[in-house]
Amino acid sequence: MILDLARLTWTFLWLSLICVGGGLGVIPELQRQVVDRFHWVTAREFLDGYTLSQLTPGPTMLVSIFVGYRAHGLLGALLATAAMFLPTAILTVVITRHWATLRDRPWALACERGLAPIGIGLMAAGVYTLARSGVHDWATGSLALLASVVLYGGWLPPFALVLAAGFVGWIAGL
Amino acid sequence: MTGRVRLSRIVKVFGWTGLTSLGGGRSAYFYDAVVMRRPWLKSHEFIQDLTLSQLLPGPSFANLGVALGVRLAGWRGGAWGVLALIVPGALILLGLTVLYFHVGFAPNATSAMHGMGAAVVGLVFVTTARMIRASIRGGRALLVGAAIFVLVGPLHVNTGLAVLLMVPLSLWLHRPRSGS
Repeated sequence: MILDLARLTWTFLWLSLICVGGGLGVIPELQRQVVDRFHWVTAREFLDGYTLSQLTPGPTMLVSIFVGYRAHGLLGALLATAAMFLPTAILTVVITRHWATLRDRPWALACERGLAPIGIGLMAAGVYTLARSGVHDWATGSLALLASVVLYGGWLPPFALVLAAGFVGWIAGL
Repeated sequence: MTGRVRLSRIVKVFGWTGLTSLGGGRSAYFYDAVVMRRPWLKSHEFIQDLTLSQLLPGPSFANLGVALGVRLAGWRGGAWGVLALIVPGALILLGLTVLYFHVGFAPNATSAMHGMGAAVVGLVFVTTARMIRASIRGGRALLVGAAIFVLVGPLHVNTGLAVLLMVPLSLWLHRPRSGS
């Protein structure tokens, strides 16, 4: 059991390290490891766990709780989640604090100018990916357009709008 | 580093952001919380942290929480911020997981998720448009932004590979020049 807990922790740790530019890219590898290789969850359970993590607030990679719990109960959930979030959070603290001390140097300013379009381009690619999976007919297209207008006008906070759209989807059977 | 915002405020706002960030494109909720609704950060500062969180390994939403927290209140801001961001959703998901495995609760909310997914597309679209308007200055930035969009979006190039290709090019294009 201890060996398998260590394996679970290590798997989520290295998966967190290859998670660059958002969590979506790592999902196929995560599935391969936890379903096909180590059999911690079945394919059906993984799909349900992923859906649950999409339904709940917070990062999608919290799916680590679902897999860890299935494999080794509360301890498994805690270790998998700590492995997924803690080391990279510490790395981010160290790098952002260090970066803050360098920020005013000309090369650091140039770096920030050079990296900003990368971040925005990735965000725009995220819009494309989300639109391909989220907009598939005239009803969802209209809902997306309506949401854009309401958000642009600032008439509703984002979460209220998304909840309202979920309610509309449920009533309309989208 | 001096704190711009009190820790208790960070915990409250990040906790609420974590609790209300539904669907995909979760960084858009943060933009709304710390740039649009509160004068905590300028748009370009948010984009710096967003970019860093995307380039560093790890779940980018959590990385973003850390980076924004560090900027607003030092390492304590980063630590408390990311905890406040993650813990509410983690507890909810743990509760649902227990129900799933012990009571047989199954997620069957496809229609609601389709509606939420469509609204999130609108949310992320508006947020990205605001960021582009606030931060993309000049042809070089536009070129790099468009290239990374096309590579990762329509062409489905692996994100890591696209970043590896485009970061050196963008840094070279934006290198400090004499007299600038």
